[in-house]
Amino acid sequence: MDLLLDIANPIVMGILLGGLYSLIALGLSLVFGVMKLINVAHGDLVLLSTYLAFTMMTAFGIDPLLSLVICAPVMFVIGFYIQRYLLNRAFRISMETPLIIAFGISIILQNFYQIVWTPLSRGLTPSYGLLSFSIGELNIPLVYALDFAVCLIVMLGLREFMRRTYVGQAITAASQDRGAAQLMGINTNRVYAFAFAIAMVLAAIAGVFLGLTFPFTPQSGVSFLIIAFGVVVLGGLGSFVGTFIGGLVLGLAQTLGGYFFGTGAQMFVAYLIVFIVLGVRPQGIFGR
Amino acid sequence: MKANRFRLRGGLLPLLIATVLLALFPIIGVPQNWILYLFLFFIYLALANMWNWLAGYCGLISLCQPAFIGIGGYTLALMTWVGLPMWQGLIAGAIVAALFAVIISIPVFRLSGIYFAVGTLIVPELLRLFFLNWRPVGGLLYGKGAGYAVKGATTIPAMETYWLALVICIGSVLMMRYILRSNLGLGLAAIRDNTSSAASSGINVFKLKLYSFIGSAAVTGLVGAAFYIQQGFIEPTSAFNVRWTMVLMLATVIGGIRLEEGPAVGALIVVFLHFLLARYSGVSLLIQGVILVFIMLIAPQGIAGSVRRAWARRTFRPRGGKPESGGKADNGPACKPTFTT
Repeated sequence: MDLLLDIANPIVMGILLGGLYSLIALGLSLVFGVMKLINVAHGDLVLLSTYLAFTMMTAFGIDPLLSLVICAPVMFVIGFYIQRYLLNRAFRISMETPLIIAFGISIILQNFYQIVWTPLSRGLTPSYGLLSFSIGELNIPLVYALDFAVCLIVMLGLREFMRRTYVGQAITAASQDRGAAQLMGINTNRVYAFAFAIAMVLAAIAGVFLGLTFPFTPQSGVSFLIIAFGVVVLGGLGSFVGTFIGGLVLGLAQTLGGYFFGTGAQMFVAYLIVFIVLGVRPQGIFGR
Repeated sequence: MKANRFRLRGGLLPLLIATVLLALFPIIGVPQNWILYLFLFFIYLALANMWNWLAGYCGLISLCQPAFIGIGGYTLALMTWVGLPMWQGLIAGAIVAALFAVIISIPVFRLSGIYFAVGTLIVPELLRLFFLNWRPVGGLLYGKGAGYAVKGATTIPAMETYWLALVICIGSVLMMRYILRSNLGLGLAAIRDNTSSAASSGINVFKLKLYSFIGSAAVTGLVGAAFYIQQGFIEPTSAFNVRWTMVLMLATVIGGIRLEEGPAVGALIVVFLHFLLARYSGVSLLIQGVILVFIMLIAPQGIAGSVRRAWARRTFRPRGGKPESGGKADNGPACKPTFTT
């Protein structure tokens, strides 16, 4: 019984953390699903919104959650122009060009953060950052619960958006068959730009909640990218439900890995699981 | 592996002269600064050559080169701690890196194209976390994990590490030359141009790619070990850093991917950039990133590719037809004279 209670804590934390991970991975999954591009700069773009929220919090005292009102549109515009002026051109050159360009963007952002915000470790710490509540014997930090709730809301919202709005339907059409979509009068380059911009809004939301949950440095982008990629790989590329389940698996792997092998090993265990799944089922656990 | 002897000969004389000149540099008293930058140039050129082999000729965009560099370096450092001589550490570095490539090829080779790229991106991060927690020999220096000094590295004069790097670098150049003119290179060229038709004409696509991956890993490990002899200290965060990937990608892409001389041109420019931006170390990588993006958009065939193309245009002056793109002609004549001149 004691063991059961002991292990319940990492399991609950893992599931809640999984929510955050799938939130990070959603943008990556969307970009992959639509453009068949693995956006290597995703982690650093997520971090951009974290740093924006950080600046607004320290400079003007704006609450991180409130700063999303500014972060999300800013990221939308940035995403739109990255796709429009860099990636859309790159798609015309060759298959690997967009990948290398995304890699370049990632390096540029990383060094930009280092210059502007110094390499120190930072965190978003509003007054409610350390609050927690308890259910029975379990003690749950408020921020973790918030991560999970927001993940569910965002996923449902995204699903409805993709189904009901014109832009959403156009994105789905362009991802299914680009040529046919063009024949139906869809400007696919523009749709791609919108898709990337929406992915960046998702990254903005993920970034703020990530900053609330973990401390971050300018180098964190790579680890976030690997987390996001791990989630997407576990769940199967391009599927939203898969992304959610992949997030849960990775979160659980991390907390249970930490529980059984010590905190130093927790990310190692998580990455190892990604790597093994990659080897056994390259299309992901839930991929077709 | 058979090679076309005749095609191996051309252009060897300039290479030989350059090698002798470069080898004489430390003796005739060139400033220490130069020696350091040239050392970097050799290291980058060898690494870029290996990446060009994978990315340019095999179509494997490998982002796990830092893993091989770090493994080579760590093997060397650990061997010196056990008390083995330096040269054995170098060879062991290459062998361990190759063995590691064999192991990771099991999961990674099930992926193709862009999936391969991101699958390999995980590997250095995995190793970084592993080496942060793993400390097989020696006591705790400070904290947990952290780095190792390469024992005895300080006794080796800078001249010798310079020559070592030069030998490895020229070796990698000759190796690429040989590979591209051998059956392996022809097979790779066929795979790159059309995988399915290459496979149907009896080329074992998987085997060629695997051999290339392992060979490239071995040389990259060797280069990593040589680099850490010069550094004298290794620690996980810098050894398995994505910065390495950036440098060798930049060198290859600026110079011209899929071109034999591309990495040389690119590495020269990268080292020159290092020299120019040495005072602004923070901005240096940012500027390199910007250059990478712009070169990729403006001249995807790189500088060597652009030169080749311009040369082919001037020499053959095509009428009517479009000149063949420089990016495709890998080791043959700059442009096939299929039109009347």
